[in-house]
Amino acid sequence: MLKTLQTKEVSKPQASTTKPNGAEVAPTIAIRKSCNPDGIGLSHYVLIDKKAAK
Amino acid sequence: MAAITNTSRSQPGPALIPVDIGHAIYAAVTDPDTAFWALVDKTRLAESLTDGPLLEAYGKEYDNLKRELHGLRFGLKPSGVYLNPTERCNLNCTYCYLPGEQRSSGSHMSQKTLFDSLDALRSYFRSVMGDTERKPRAIFHGAEPLMNRGAIFAAIDQYADDFAFGVQTNGTLLDDSAIEFLTSRNVSIGLSLDGPITNVTDATRLTWAGKSVHDKVVRAMAKLRGYGSWSVITTCSTENLPYLKRMVELFHAAEVPTCMLNAMRCTLPGARGVKPTDGDMVKAFFNALDRSHELYKETGRKLILANFANILLAILAPTARRLMCDISPCGGGRAFFALAADGSLYPCSEFIGLPRFNGGDLLTDGVEAALNSEAFRPVITRNVDAFDPCGSCAIRHFCGSPCPAEAAEMNGGMDKIGAFCDFYKEQVNYALRLIADAKANDYLWDGWDEETETAFSIIN
Repeated sequence: MLKTLQTKEVSKPQASTTKPNGAEVAPTIAIRKSCNPDGIGLSHYVLIDKKAAK
Repeated sequence: MAAITNTSRSQPGPALIPVDIGHAIYAAVTDPDTAFWALVDKTRLAESLTDGPLLEAYGKEYDNLKRELHGLRFGLKPSGVYLNPTERCNLNCTYCYLPGEQRSSGSHMSQKTLFDSLDALRSYFRSVMGDTERKPRAIFHGAEPLMNRGAIFAAIDQYADDFAFGVQTNGTLLDDSAIEFLTSRNVSIGLSLDGPITNVTDATRLTWAGKSVHDKVVRAMAKLRGYGSWSVITTCSTENLPYLKRMVELFHAAEVPTCMLNAMRCTLPGARGVKPTDGDMVKAFFNALDRSHELYKETGRKLILANFANILLAILAPTARRLMCDISPCGGGRAFFALAADGSLYPCSEFIGLPRFNGGDLLTDGVEAALNSEAFRPVITRNVDAFDPCGSCAIRHFCGSPCPAEAAEMNGGMDKIGAFCDFYKEQVNYALRLIADAKANDYLWDGWDEETETAFSIIN
């Protein structure tokens, strides 16, 4: 089983740039999520069993 | 700034490589050693690459992220098997990775051999998966598994408590009674359809007698509407590339929950004759992907393009991947393996036409012998860190340079790239742009992250 990683926050930089419409944007975006791996699909098949069948 | 920049790491530890993703505001920085990435304001790129809060925060998590990626790449035990209950198929698709002689006149696996095989597989999976609530997955795969319908249906009932079953079928033998049987037992069903209209499907998928099967598959899709666990694969070729947008419209209208628009595997020569260029594939694929998003916005109902969703997952949550082609080593012989109709074990069904990858007989030699065999070794040790151009590619652990069978057969060795390197680069760039614009969830299954935990997060 993989170790659960800890969330780390980074302080906000001094200023941010804006989108063309004037809205502020985050200067930095970084996201990583973690879980126990269980993928067994391949290009010839993708297992879709996470929702209940009818 | 190059699209995918080469770099050399002078010493172990965090090091970020800039990547131009074609976004107005953001560039990406990645560390392939850990599959870490961040999007940074391009005007601040220089400071992101040197000392600063991003590198500092990443540095604190470097070891954990590296350990996680290493575990995913080298620490898995198989939890699924692709079972080929027959060598035969009633279709003769242009690009099939299985030899034509097997498909036209091969043998079925007997019900007794199938049951004996499932007994052996149950014992193996119990030995590696322990007493988890999760069942191993057993996928009936082809050739066309429903040509041996009696045996596989008997197996699905006999081993219902031991395996979570799926079936990948061309759909032509999926009559009402088969659909009732499979859906009442919650079997995951995959179909294949290559065109939105008969003539397009017929260009690559016909019976041995040259008859169309398009209408039969469309009828099966209609019967499956409302079922929770089905999908359709379209194999993209020169013949259907102009129609991918219409494929998406057909699938969405039919309420297909998930589809794949796959770049074809060029393992056998037949496929290479209808292989699209990377540039054509990029244009057609993203037109179709954009159309799927328009339809979602218009109706509130998603059609997930699983092969692209998997690239998004590879970036956002590497361990949440559902497909194990887009990682190096791939899932063949690691996350799953394949059982051929003659009882032989292969790393993946893609290798069944290539005898040198036969890892031995399930019933006489066993799974462990196959996993440790010289036949499996080139596949389970294929490492994109170790050969060019992948070894210096910033996104090599988002794509994994699929597929080893294709690389070996088409490009001359396991230490070569697969057939669609530039297409994968564009998928990664596109995925990162969606993340930059906070649209990634529109392209992923609802609730995809419910079983995940946040390992690293900066949005400020």
